[in-house]
Amino acid sequence: MTTGRLASGSRRLDSILDGGLPEHAITLLIGLPGSGKTILAQQYLFANATPERPALYLSTVSEPFEKIIRYGQTLSFFDQAAVGRSVVYEDLGAVLDQGGLAATLERITSLLKERQPGLLVIDSFKALSAYANGLEQRAFLHELAGRLSALPLSSFWVGEYAEQDAAVAPEFAVADAIISLSTTRVSERELRFLRVLKLRGSGFRGGEHAYRIGVDGLEIFPRLADEADVTGYMLDGVRVSSGIAALDEMLADGYWPGASTLCVGPSGSGKTLMALHFIFNGARQGERGVLATLQEHPAQLERIAAGFGWSLGEDGVELLYRSPVDIYVDEWVYELLDAVERTRARRVLIDSLSDLQLAAPDPTRFREFIYSLVQRFSRQGVSVFMTSELPDLFQINRLFDDGISHFADNVVLLQYVRERSSIRRALTVLKTRASHNNPEIREFRITPDGIVLGEPFADTAALV
Amino acid sequence: MGLGDEVSFLPLGTEPGDPAVYSIGAVERMVGVPAATLRNWEERYKLIRPERSGGGHRLYTRTEVEQIRFLAGHVESGVHAAEAHLLLADRLAAGTAVASDERREVTLLVLLAERDPFAAEFAEFFLRTEGYQVALVFDAGEAERVIEEEAPQLVVVEWLLGGGAGRELCRGVKDGGVASCLVVSSLDARDEALAAGADAFLRKPLEPLRFVSTVRDLLGRSAYLAAPAAVA
Repeated sequence: MTTGRLASGSRRLDSILDGGLPEHAITLLIGLPGSGKTILAQQYLFANATPERPALYLSTVSEPFEKIIRYGQTLSFFDQAAVGRSVVYEDLGAVLDQGGLAATLERITSLLKERQPGLLVIDSFKALSAYANGLEQRAFLHELAGRLSALPLSSFWVGEYAEQDAAVAPEFAVADAIISLSTTRVSERELRFLRVLKLRGSGFRGGEHAYRIGVDGLEIFPRLADEADVTGYMLDGVRVSSGIAALDEMLADGYWPGASTLCVGPSGSGKTLMALHFIFNGARQGERGVLATLQEHPAQLERIAAGFGWSLGEDGVELLYRSPVDIYVDEWVYELLDAVERTRARRVLIDSLSDLQLAAPDPTRFREFIYSLVQRFSRQGVSVFMTSELPDLFQINRLFDDGISHFADNVVLLQYVRERSSIRRALTVLKTRASHNNPEIREFRITPDGIVLGEPFADTAALV
Repeated sequence: MGLGDEVSFLPLGTEPGDPAVYSIGAVERMVGVPAATLRNWEERYKLIRPERSGGGHRLYTRTEVEQIRFLAGHVESGVHAAEAHLLLADRLAAGTAVASDERREVTLLVLLAERDPFAAEFAEFFLRTEGYQVALVFDAGEAERVIEEEAPQLVVVEWLLGGGAGRELCRGVKDGGVASCLVVSSLDARDEALAAGADAFLRKPLEPLRFVSTVRDLLGRSAYLAAPAAVA
């Protein structure tokens, strides 16, 4: 037996809730002041209220009625024409002050009969507990929950609770669903997270989901946590050119569409250039590409591209540039997914993972998120090229701090080789999945025609 | 100015040709509500406001007396005065004449056999809003007594009434052959309810509109058979 779902007006939030909140449920919205609880509650009201089944917004004492209305108007979904018709605001403050919980319950009951609302918000619900001792409060909760459950009504209890209140506040036991909004401080940045703590009778996507508050209300970026792709690779598929002649030559079986390639190397070793070959030559073969860069400013990138006869403005190439000091990884990844979907791209460049990692809240989350992204693109047959900076110019201790290289199908290492007074470049294909590779260390040169492979190094002593 | 324009200036619910003639003492005797209560209602709810004579005495119209009778009837059956006024205001706003419904309502009794006091409170309110008389019970034994003594036209049965008594009650109503039976439940017990003889099944929580329209449909049939004059 499935219950109906209450949509939030945000497809992403609904996807976290396995389709939406259960209909006719009591949902507790918790979080500190300023976390966006009131906004989220209003989002639900305006998305669902109709004149036949209106929404009732009851303010108590800590959320003054006037302020809810005044700030509500700044939100894009706040439909002034609906106010008083399908969305009705009432202030319970005076009733609560004069008659306490008993009078408040009576008032709510009358409103339920009179208005027959389809949705009800009580904001702040926590403020009610100040008007009662523990016993009175439990009786009030029982009576209120009983009435709310007897009607086809979805209600929201909004309060400044903390997650640890779950052990002591009886509201947590009564509620059918609990959504927590919180703020975490990560090196001078405020990151907002939404968590589902309880969802009776339904699965949900656990963990912390980043969100931002804007004029459209809460914009949610669900945590990317994709399952492993069990469909595997299309081994009988048609092999294509990676766009990098040198790489094609090193991959004995050629390049698989939908493969992910990680290119690591020290600064200036040619990673970005190799990546541009992948994107621009791909576009000229008819595979559109999204160039997501946190490294080069578009002007710098245009200059590099022009040296090889390309232009950022050409068809089939979409640029997604963000400054590495001002991005939120969770938000960025959705911009990238949207860009790929919008342009129907077959190739994606992420330049670089090192910059992206700086913006991620923690290493575990970063790894989970790159893994999911690669899985998702692989399922769609989109080839990904990722670059990553090695800190040392000559000595290589490890490829990537967070084991990201395990996720990639191909791993290409670019190195500097010292030879007397000059420095040469070397390319090694360290790993290829579902393909044979030629594990030689080959010299390569960057020429106006692209990356040209030279002979294997005879004397590997120069390489460390 | 035509007659129609004049009528539109009359207070809501007042009929033309209905002069204010009854004193508060007369109304007290006619409907059995103490004068003090009438004054109190007037002051508090400001819904029925009789005309004042030159000497300041209240004078009620025939329509107002019927409205007070409507209020008194609800208060007598346990509805709070404030809610009774709310019901009356709804009626007046909807343009429903109170007096004619009052006559019909006498013949239509709904027995509500509930388990959950909260659900019962709302169901009773919605039925009364529609002008039905309601008898409310919380166990099957009491329900049987009401069926025997008061002969309701419709029995609303909560399927999960104490220890499976809902099914028995439904069967009993069916076997009695007089009243209709509407089963309500949070369980999707439609098939079982219909097999036990229910005329209709509604899933809880009850949508107020659907609930009263179902009741109206079920009673509409029996109302025609039982008291055609009341409907006409």
